[in-house]
Amino acid sequence: MSIHSWAGALALAGCAVLAQPAAAHHSFAMFDNSRSITLHGKVTKFQWTNPHGYLEIDAEQGKGKIKHFVLEMTSPNMMSRGGWTSRTIKTGDVVTAVVSPLRDGKPGGLLLQVTLPSGKVMLPGVPNAARYKITS
Amino acid sequence: MRATLRRAALALAVLAAPAAAQDARPDLSGNWERYPTVAEPDTVDPRFAPTPIPDPPLKPEYKAAWDVQQKKLAARIAEGQPAGDNYVHCIPDGMPAMMMGMFPMEVMQRPDQVNITQEAFNQTRRIYMNQALPKWDEIDPSFFGRSVGHWDGDTLVVETTGIKDYVTFRWAPHSESMLITERISLIDPDHLKDEVTVVDDHFEKPWSWTWTFQRMKDYKLQEYVCEDNREYVDESGGQNLKVDGN
Repeated sequence: MSIHSWAGALALAGCAVLAQPAAAHHSFAMFDNSRSITLHGKVTKFQWTNPHGYLEIDAEQGKGKIKHFVLEMTSPNMMSRGGWTSRTIKTGDVVTAVVSPLRDGKPGGLLLQVTLPSGKVMLPGVPNAARYKITS
Repeated sequence: MRATLRRAALALAVLAAPAAAQDARPDLSGNWERYPTVAEPDTVDPRFAPTPIPDPPLKPEYKAAWDVQQKKLAARIAEGQPAGDNYVHCIPDGMPAMMMGMFPMEVMQRPDQVNITQEAFNQTRRIYMNQALPKWDEIDPSFFGRSVGHWDGDTLVVETTGIKDYVTFRWAPHSESMLITERISLIDPDHLKDEVTVVDDHFEKPWSWTWTFQRMKDYKLQEYVCEDNREYVDESGGQNLKVDGN
């Protein structure tokens, strides 16, 4: 495979003969793709940077408690080709995020989809998204 | 007077001849995305299909180590912990990996120079036309090396050498003297192919494959600055995400 660890996803897929160059160039193996969690809360940061964008949320935990989550997105380059802009989400927006959680249990994950305050659902273009189970 | 005119006409003809020849070259300029495209990965027109990329044809003394590394990599992947790679460190592909076309690429063609920019990591390689390729040890090793090009009919032939020995494609070990020869040509006005052949003293025979690309109309290359990477490789070599301190 190439130097890119998307190879992981590809190997799992049974390794297509046409060995696709990276749809994504990063490994997402640190995320548990067998389950998802759904977070609802206020955005503290929507960061439009390479190699990844980040969405940070103060997620509601019930009884007035909140927990801060860092959610990785794909590259702004890929996201912009998928209809996102740097202004799709603003600090203070209350959103609902479906996330593949970090395997190590830390409060972070890979953003699979997000529902904006307008009700619009945005997908950040996770490569081979079908391999990330939405269970939440 | 007449002689002067004749001389002027002759001079014009001499000037015009190479210009006309250059004008006759295919124009590879424009934006290109790898084929099959990201949007339609399952749509493959055989006329435009890339070839599979074989394993590097390493000599036995290098192949053993490569095989061990591939096994380790496969095991890590199975565990969900791939080995850290260039990108985790915000380091670009270099040659020849940048031509895989992870993101769109832009070709800008002048008679004397062709630049190819890969959107990911703002990688740009510069191909100097009709110049001699320096010997590998006459140039400082780099990610993109030194590239020279010439036209063979409608095919742009590019030779590249002087790639740092740790800038690898598919983890294939190589020397700084590695020579990459590319034959770049239009399959049709909207499809481009890059036939790559890599020769190195680590290989038993040349390593060859073909990448193909489809023209993107009305696309503008975006910038890519590797600015905030919260992924890191931990002590065990696994990849992780920082969730605090940012």
